[in-house]
Parts: sequence; C-alpha cells; structure tokens
Amino acid sequence: MKKQYGALVVGAGIGGMRSALDLAETGQKVALIDARPSMGGILTQLDHQFPSDHCGMCKMLPLTQRDQSSQYCLRKGFFHKNIDIYLHTELTALEGDPGKFHATLSRRSTFVDPTRCVSCGLCAEVCPVRVPNEFNAGLGQRTAAYLPVPHNIANHYVVDLDNCLRCWRCFEACPTQAIDFKFKEREDFHVLVVSADEELTRTLPEWLKKENFPLHFTTSGEDGLALLSEGLDVKLLLLDLDLHAAEAERTLRRALELRPGLAIVLLAGPDKQDAAAELLKLGARETLAKPLERATAVPRLDKLFMRLVSDEALDLEVGAVILAAGFECFNPAEVPCGSADLLLYGQHPGVLTSLEFERLLSSTGPSAGSLVRPGDGKPLRRIAWLQCVGSRDVKLKADFCSSICCMISIKEAMLAKRHTRGEAEATIFYMDMRTSGRDYQRYRDEAETGAGVRFVPARPHSILPGPEGDLLIQYYDYSGELKEEIFDALVLAVGARPPKSMARLALAAGVDLNESGFCATRPLAPNRTSRLGVFAAGAFGEPADIRGSLIQAGAAAMGASRMMRVYHGPRDETPEAEPKYTDVSREAPRVLMALCTSCPTLERNVDTALLRSRMAVLPGVVRVADVPRACTREGWELLRQEAEAVKPNRVLIGACMPYMHVPRLRDLGEALSLNPALMDVVDIHTATFAGAGAEKTVRTEETASLLGMAAAKLLGADPSPQAQATPVAPQALVVGGGLAGMTAAMGIADQGYKVVLVEELEQLGGLAMNLRATLEGDDPVRFMEDLIEQVEKNPNIRVLKDSRVVLSRGRAGRFLTVVATGEGVAHSLHHGATILATGGHETKVYEYGNRVHKCVLTQMELEQRLADGSVDAARLGGVAMIQCWRSRDESRNYCSRVCCQSALKNLLLLKKRNPGLPVFVFYRDIMSTGFSERFYTEARRTGAVFIRYTPENRPKVTFVDDKPVIVALDPVLGAEIEVHPDLLALSSGVEPNDVSELAELFGVGLTPDGFYQEAENKWRPVDFLKHGVFACGLGLAPATMREAILSAKAAAQRAVRILSEKSLSCGNAVAEVRHSLCSRCGRCITVCPYGARSLDLARDSITVDEQLCQGCGSCMAVCPNSATVLRGFRDEQVMAMIDAAVARPPHGTQGAEPNPQSAPAQPAHMGG
Amino acid sequence: MRTAPPVITFTPEPPPACGAKALAEVQNMVRACMQCGTCSGSCPNAFAMDLTPRQMWRMLLFGLAHEVLHSRTFWLCSACYSCTLRCPRGLPLTSAMAALKRLAAAEPDFASHRKALFYEEFMHNVEKRGRVRETELMLHYFAGMRDPLLPLKYTPLGLKLLRKGKLHLGGAPGAGRVSGLGPLFAKVRSMEAGT
Repeated sequence: MKKQYGALVVGAGIGGMRSALDLAETGQKVALIDARPSMGGILTQLDHQFPSDHCGMCKMLPLTQRDQSSQYCLRKGFFHKNIDIYLHTELTALEGDPGKFHATLSRRSTFVDPTRCVSCGLCAEVCPVRVPNEFNAGLGQRTAAYLPVPHNIANHYVVDLDNCLRCWRCFEACPTQAIDFKFKEREDFHVLVVSADEELTRTLPEWLKKENFPLHFTTSGEDGLALLSEGLDVKLLLLDLDLHAAEAERTLRRALELRPGLAIVLLAGPDKQDAAAELLKLGARETLAKPLERATAVPRLDKLFMRLVSDEALDLEVGAVILAAGFECFNPAEVPCGSADLLLYGQHPGVLTSLEFERLLSSTGPSAGSLVRPGDGKPLRRIAWLQCVGSRDVKLKADFCSSICCMISIKEAMLAKRHTRGEAEATIFYMDMRTSGRDYQRYRDEAETGAGVRFVPARPHSILPGPEGDLLIQYYDYSGELKEEIFDALVLAVGARPPKSMARLALAAGVDLNESGFCATRPLAPNRTSRLGVFAAGAFGEPADIRGSLIQAGAAAMGASRMMRVYHGPRDETPEAEPKYTDVSREAPRVLMALCTSCPTLERNVDTALLRSRMAVLPGVVRVADVPRACTREGWELLRQEAEAVKPNRVLIGACMPYMHVPRLRDLGEALSLNPALMDVVDIHTATFAGAGAEKTVRTEETASLLGMAAAKLLGADPSPQAQATPVAPQALVVGGGLAGMTAAMGIADQGYKVVLVEELEQLGGLAMNLRATLEGDDPVRFMEDLIEQVEKNPNIRVLKDSRVVLSRGRAGRFLTVVATGEGVAHSLHHGATILATGGHETKVYEYGNRVHKCVLTQMELEQRLADGSVDAARLGGVAMIQCWRSRDESRNYCSRVCCQSALKNLLLLKKRNPGLPVFVFYRDIMSTGFSERFYTEARRTGAVFIRYTPENRPKVTFVDDKPVIVALDPVLGAEIEVHPDLLALSSGVEPNDVSELAELFGVGLTPDGFYQEAENKWRPVDFLKHGVFACGLGLAPATMREAILSAKAAAQRAVRILSEKSLSCGNAVAEVRHSLCSRCGRCITVCPYGARSLDLARDSITVDEQLCQGCGSCMAVCPNSATVLRGFRDEQVMAMIDAAVARPPHGTQGAEPNPQSAPAQPAHMGG
Repeated sequence: MRTAPPVITFTPEPPPACGAKALAEVQNMVRACMQCGTCSGSCPNAFAMDLTPRQMWRMLLFGLAHEVLHSRTFWLCSACYSCTLRCPRGLPLTSAMAALKRLAAAEPDFASHRKALFYEEFMHNVEKRGRVRETELMLHYFAGMRDPLLPLKYTPLGLKLLRKGKLHLGGAPGAGRVSGLGPLFAKVRSMEAGT
C-alpha cells in the first residue's frame, strides 16, 4: 500500500528543511528525502555564518507547538511529528498530476542497521579503504565504513559500497552485528549465465565459490528462457553478447517479459559495445567487459548482489513536490584545461577552495581548527581570496553570478582575522564586490575599516610557487602597475553549480532546466518550475545565500500548500485529538526507572547490580526495570507494558542518545496519558566510554550520579496541567496593497482563510505600478493589472482602500486591530496573523540637477519615458548613467538592489532602439547577482562603456547650455574623462516608506535605515520577534519584483501556519514571573532573545508571552531577585540535581539513605 | 615610459584610414571586456608596451582610435595566446591584436608604416629564402627606414647575437633562394585582398 503524504520534499538541506517545516507545522504530512546519508546539506560543513559569524540554524525550529519537533542543534539532527525522513534516497520517477502525484523513490542501503550500531567506530578502524573525505571537502581521507557527519546525534556508521573492497573486516569487527552483508540471502540468489563461452563456464564457479551464489549455466538463450519459464527464481541474468545478436536481444526482451525488473548484466567484449548500448536502452542493468577479470568482475557482481537485495524502491502518493536539491561548489580541478593549471589548484597545498578553507577553520576539520596549511602545516598568516572562480566566466559556461561568494569571502577573511587575533593579513581580489543584501554593505565596511581586510579590485593572472612553499601572486592593479606579493595561502571563492545529479533529477521530476543548468523558474512566479505542482526551493532555481534560500523555500512551501488545497479542497476540519494527560499534580511521585541493557559495553564497565540497588532507594523510585534494547520498537513495547503495570507518574530511562528518544516519549505519553514533560532520557553509555582506564566502581558511581540527577530533576517537575491555549481567529490582516501585500493576501486567501487588505491610497498596486518592463522581458503592467483584478474578485479578501491602521492589540492568534477609512468609518478586526507589506519608494533627492534640468531623470522616470515614447532613443546623442547615486554611503549605507538592474534594463532598451548610441555608466560595483549577470554581459557587448568610480572620487556633473557635462576619473587609463551626453539618468535607489508609527502600533522593530527589523537576518527572514507579525516586500529590504513576490509568499505561509491552528498552546519549558519578588528592573526584557518579555505599565508588572518564550533561561540567569522562574528548571530542581550529583554512598555499603531534603520517598523496591 | 593620456572628451574623432567599419569590427571583438586585467598580467611582452593591453582595449572602447593605432602595444604581441586562453569573458584578444596590426599597416602616415615595415621585410625574407636570414632582413629593414643612425642603435644587439652564433654572415645574395613558396604567398595575398 502506498504511503500518502501531503508533499514530497527532495533535498534535506536548509531549504528542504524550511519547506518541510512550513508544511508540517500547518499539519501536512511531509516526506523529506535526501540523496546523502545525512541531513543538513552543505551547512553541515559550514560552522560560521555572517554577520554574526556563528551558526543560528536552530532559529529555524518551530516556535509554536515546539514539543512536536526537535529542539536542539539542527546541524546535529532533526525530527518533526509530521515529517518522515528518508535518507540515502533519490527520486527516480514522478507520475500523475498535481494533487495526486505518484513518486517512486529508490533508497540505497547503508548496510548498517541503525538500531544496532552503537557508533563504536571499530568498523572504520579495520577498514583498509582510504578515499577523500567529502565532509572535509576532500582534505583528509576517510574509510569506506564511515560517519558521514561526525557531529550528528543518533550518529550511525554507513558503508560506502562503491568504494568498498569487500574484505569483510568491518563485518567481523562489529561487536553488535550491525553490519549486514546479506549472508543468508546469498543461498537464494540464483544466477543464470547464458553463454557459449567454455572458459567462462569453467572459471566462473571457481571464482564465485566464496560468494555462495547458486549458478546455472546454459549455452543458448532458449535454454535459459526455458529455465526461467519453469519457475527458477533467477535474481540475476548474465547475458553473453557473443551469442548471435538477434538471439541476445530476443533473450533479453523475453526474459524481461517473464520477469519484469529482472537484473540483467551484459558480458560484452570490446567489439560488442554498440550492441551493449542498445540493450542497455532496452532494460539491461549494466555491462561487464569481456574477457572477465577476476579482480574486478567478482567484487562488481558481489556489489550488484548487495544492491539488488538491499536497496528498496518506495512508492509514495503525494499532493505536491518541492525540489530543494541545492547546489554544489564549483570544482576547479574538473576544468579540463586552464583553470586548474593556472590557479595551481591541486598542485600547490596553499591553494584552497573556500569550502576547504571553511573546513580548516572548523574544529571538526582536518586540522582540528588550527589555521595551518595542509601539507607542511605552516600557520596561515597572509591569506588572499580570489573571487569569481567558476562564476561570471563565459568560458566555463557560467554567465551567472553565484551571489554568495563575495559575502563568504568577507566572512572567511573576518574569521581568519578573529582566529589569529588580528594577526592574519587578509586580501580579497575582486571584480565587483557584490554586497547586494540589505545589511551586507555595512558588513563589508566593518571588514574594511574595522578589521582591516584589504580589498583589491584586480584579478591576479599568475599564481606561482613562491619561496618556502608560499605562493607568489602577480596582478596588475588599476593604475596598470604590475604587483607581486607573497601569500601563505590563496582561497578560491568557488561559485555555485547545479548538483551533479541534476540531469537525472530533472528527468525524474519532469522539470526543465535553464541554460546554466539550474532549475528553470519564471521571474514573476519564482517558486514554480515548468511542471505544475512541482516547486523549487532553496538554491535549486538560482544560487542564493541562506536568507534567500529560506525565503525561496517558504514561497515554495506556500505554493505546495496552496496546490494541495486547490486539488483536495478544504482540509479535513476535524483536528487531531489533542493528547489528554492525567492531572497528577496531587499524587505523590512514583518514578519508573528503566535501564537499557542492550549494549554489552554497559555490562562490562558498570556494576549493574550495584547500580540497580543504588537507584532503587532513590526517593520516589518505585521500580527499577531492565529494558533490553530500548532503541528498538520491541524494547519500547516492553517498557510500555512495564509502565502500565507500575502506573508511574514519572518515567526515567537510562539509555544512549537521549535526543533520539524524545519523539518516542511523546508516544509513550499518549499511551500512558502522562505528560512527556514528566519523562526523561539519560545518556548512561557515554560515561562508560569516556573513562576507559578508570575502575569499574568509579564508572558505576558516575552512571549512578547521572541517573540520580535526572531523578531529582523529575521529582521537582511541575506536574500541573498546562495553561489554557489561545483560540485562533482564522483571519489575516495585510497592511499595504502593493505587489507584496497583494501576493501575500492571495497566498493566504487561496488557502481558505479570510484576509483584510488595508491600503493607504485610493488604488491598489504601489510602487510596482510605475514599472514598464523587467530585465527578463516580462510585462509588469499586465501582471499587476491581473493581480489587482484577482485580489478584488477574491471572495476571501476584503480590500479597505484609503484606510489606515490606528490601533492594534493582542498577540499571535488573537489580534484586535482598528482600521479607519477615509470616510471616517472605523472597522475593528479580529485576526490571528498580521503581515506588514508597506513597501517603499524611489528616493527623492535634489542633486546633480535633478528636478532642475529636464535632461536629468531618475532610472524609473527614464523607464516610463522610454515606454511612453517621450524619450526617443534615435534622437539622442549620448546617455550617461550614475549608479549608487545615493546608496551605499554614510546616510543610506545599503545597496538598493534594483538600480543596477533598472540601469541595465534601460541601457539594453536604448541600445536596442539605437545601437550606435554612446552610453556611459558610472558605477561602483555592478550588482547583477544571479542570472541577471548575463544582462550585464549583454550590456557590455552592446558597447556601453562602464566606468568605475570610488566614493572619494565621485563623478562631477556641471551643466553647459542646459546639457550635462560629466567629468570623472577612468581608473584603467588613469585619465580624466569628460562626457557630454544629452541625458543623465540617476540611480537614486529605493527607500522604505515611513512606518515608524505603524511599527510602534504593532510592536515591531526597524533598522537604522527604516526597514523592518526581522527576528533574525538569515534564519527568520520574514518573521518579527513579535510572534504572529510578518514582513515582506520592499519594506523589509530592497527587492526586485521577483524577490518581493518570494518574500510575500514566504510570509503568507508563515501566517497560514498560525491560522491553520484552532488554538495555540505553549511549550513545556516556559518562564514565569513571581511578581512579589520582581523589582521591575527590566534586565530580563533586554536579555530575552525572543522578545517574549515586556513591561505591562497598566499592571506594573513584567509579562511573559508564553508563545514566544522558548525556555532558554536567559532571564532566569540575569534576574537579581530570582523572580523569574522557568517551568521545568526551577531553582529547587537544579539544587536537588546538584545534591544528587555529589551524593556518594558510604564507602563499602550497597545503596544509600534516601536524601532527607527531597520529596517523600516511596521506598517500595519491587525488583529490577 | 607610460604617460598618462590627456583628458579624454567624447567628441567624435575622424575615422582612421582603414575605415570606421574595420575599426568597429575590432571594437566588437572586445566589447564584453570588463577590465579585469588578466590579459595585461598574462602578456609576456607587457613590460615593453607603452599601453598595457587592458588600457589599450579600454581606449579602443572609448573610440580613441588614433592613440591606439599609434601605440606599439599590439605590434609587440607575439601571438602566444596566453590572454585569449585566460580571458574570463572568452574574448578573441590575440585575433584583435592581429586585426590592429592589419589596420595600422594600412594607415597612410609614416609612424604607422614604420612599425609595419619590419613585419613586411620579415615576410619578404621568408618568401625569398624559406626562412629568415637575419643579416639580410636587417639590411632591408634599415634601408626601408631611411634612418642612417638606426644601424648604430642595433650594433650592440648584433654583436651579442654574433658572439652566440645566432647571426649568419656571408652567403651570396642569390644563394639559398627557394622557389615554390610563391603560390602559397599568392593565395594569402588574394585572401587578404578579398577581406
């Protein structure tokens, strides 16, 4: 029976995780697959992200209903109640239509049983194979039995069959028989050999003796087929192509008719390759070259057997598909000629890719975090970065910008500085420094002026081996002077490439690719692929950084969610029954303690009898039970039976890998109707590994103390039922009726929720109504007209024009907002979520003759004048453009994102209408990120002259006869140039609309530039700290139409997440305030990273938003009066834990007296 | 060595003798240039050039045909193809250098002609002998340059070459003449005339 899911997400990197979470949180069942044996994608390898230079991945985790998913480091692992994760799994076929796709997955076996593997590492110790370690980007080696990601929790070894030598040493070494090489199945693996080759018939049984396959030989196809039709259970057919050609083909066809899916291997000599290729198309699995060689043929047949009996095909029925297979880093070694030799990559140990450098910095990296050169171990102190390696290179078929490498290099330079306490000299060689995000320019400035990173606009041409193993780098600086410098290392900022499996995946999913090999998406429907119902998330459609990937992933999730709604109608409205937990607050504690005894290591290292007796006398413990193999389902079943017999009101389990057991605790809680907050799992195995040399008694003490601490904590747990949940008003408020606001409103309304759209002006549309063309050649006017019509006709959307928000109260799930219309009518609205999409405008500045001289226009004016014909390109004698006119300087230090694109757009249109028109563009860095790079190349090709200027040396504009005269310094020629154009277009940039009042009304923050301040720049890009309020569009960050649409869709999905809930309840660990002790000093408010605390002036007290509080405990630590307490981590509990940790039994006695300070004990010792 | 060019104003220059079209063709070859400077860095002869290749392409794009055609940069190109190989934009830079040589050779003024003369004499020599005979080449070159002091300037280099046995004196004017290259050169000339 096919498993059914709402959506299938392909790729479990951050994009895939975000999409999966966004859907799972709204109650959809999601299948999340990844071709790798581990989750997390490329970010498992990156320890630091700018601008914080830390990791913040955990911020992606759900904030509401957070007990349904993992609540620890996402780089270590991840689970969610509604997400099924299939690793080492690929999509092989996708049939059917949106709403009811049939997906076929192939799961490759890892040959290690995760329920048995205890991660002892013995298999890796004995493995003789050494291959480059992918996790460390090829620095260092790994074995064939290995840990894909060393820091995963619930970490299991896997066997890499492709590189395995089949020596079986790991199989012999494994203490828990977790490695399964399918010994039994071999007896039933019938191999039929159809060959007239006598040599083969003679040698093959001898060769395959050890493999233990039953072999059957026939000399003709007919005999072989006869065996098949007689019912011989053949699993593999070896077909010799030296048979008559027609006979081979007939045998193959007939065999596949008799046994669909039968594995057929062709034995083909060098002269039969063409015939073999034909038969491969007909369904043969692979080819073995004849004459067979024992050393290669036998392992290959053995591996084939392993794959055939171990790999699974899974069939799923899914409503929508999200592709988030990410990207791969460009590998300079792969370029057939040129790049590798010129850059010395792979030839000099000092030349590294950015990924390799990142691994060097990591404590799990090849040098354990010390910044030294691989090979000779010299500390790296002079480091250079070379940008655009594999990006922006037409010759490498990369006429696109990878968008991420500039910021990665700045970050790495900063990390190198920090790592060496400022000692390292960092130099970045670049062509354009693309700091195109909202806060990126500030980060660059900080690196340049604060940290002293040197930025050199040049492209080193020669990288030569220097003295003492260093590197000699030669480059021409802008003045045309040849420079030579010595560096310890050169980091190549490698660009993004489509994943290697892209062609296969695109074929399987039936989606088109663009000319750069990424998934084709449309600029104004950027989350959609060419196939309806299949969406692109993360960096799958266009290279993107974390923020961009997550926004794209949110938009893809919104698309998928809407698709499911469209094809399945309103979701079943009977919500899953909330688990009912018995109120045990008035009962005396009864602790059931279960110890997992599955692993022999525990028995060997710990005196278990002593341990049991020590535990049995702990206060509250009513029973100490042994559970064999707590990690298996049977083990848990035993545990459940035990619990039903004992009827405990606290459960403590001593096992390994606590994180792995958390989802099971929830199931157990439902079975026992006991709140999972009253259960805990303690790791009792790691302690036994660690003290390898210590005596058994010491380790027993250690384990006893661990269990004692956990028991003390459980005793003090607050068993009272949780607070009442907030009911959710199923309506959203969207403020701002521009592109982003309307897109967000549609995204919510299409999923069946009511939306009120408030627009300040008398018509919808906003800034995007001024656009006449897009760079990609879409028609924004028509697009906006359609969108407005859809919004106005949508029965779920109520549009309030000429209106503004005057008051808002409440919190996520239940806001009350008053909107006043122009006619003076006040509407009061109850809504569960709010989206702020207030947009922005083109900056109005009165410099450079703007608004004084007719010949000076802004880019947007030029676009409009070109569209309505009032600027005639044929009659112009020359056009000049000045970029970054008022962006990226002190007053507004951000890149406006749209100006380079509109300049290129206007330039190309001018050149199209008048190819001979001289156009001069004065620029600082052209920010044509992603696929817009090709328009920059095209603009250069049309003959437009691009002249770089620096902020210190801006172009000077004067007017002669009402015509502009621009004087600037051309840095390449080192000469002043003077331009006399007829028209001057200024890229004035964009500014957010003034929303200071609105921000105050909704209690959300603004950046110094007046944009909305999201909760976290990278990981929560459309959320506010205030829960239930989201931002999108130009008010959030400068954005193109594409980006505004993406952020709007992502915000819509976040809002739907709240609206889809009948009521919102908080997590188990939440902070509370003891008002009588509180002095209202307010320190907890500033320290709270989630903005959960506020001062209620009316009541003169600190209030905690239980939805927002994530139980981190910062407030508790900072509170001088202990007025703030964390449910689940009270002071008494922590003190009791410390007591338990230091408690030692009197020497030589078994067991100890119950701790008199603890709660009343139930010393009933019922065995164990 | 390198002097900063004067202020460049964009007033239309008179097109060079070779014609605006021929110039535009060379410009088209390098239009997509983004001034990264890889060509300058890669060029083994850049040290002797008055403009670096990057500057020259830049001036060409600015339309400064006169300055470009009178520079010695492209004449010093030895067609090693390093720049073409390394250019991230994939521009045919070596071809553009060759095209500039052709354009400059067609210029009527003496300055351009002078630089083309060496190439002409070189090929004459090859046509006549099947290889270069250095002494004869230089004699013809000096004669063509009509500068009596020029041979003196080359004397130190000549002596150096002589000492290393790289200069072959002697040999009757008629000796070593090859025939049979005529048709090849004729074909090249007819092809050049055709373009």
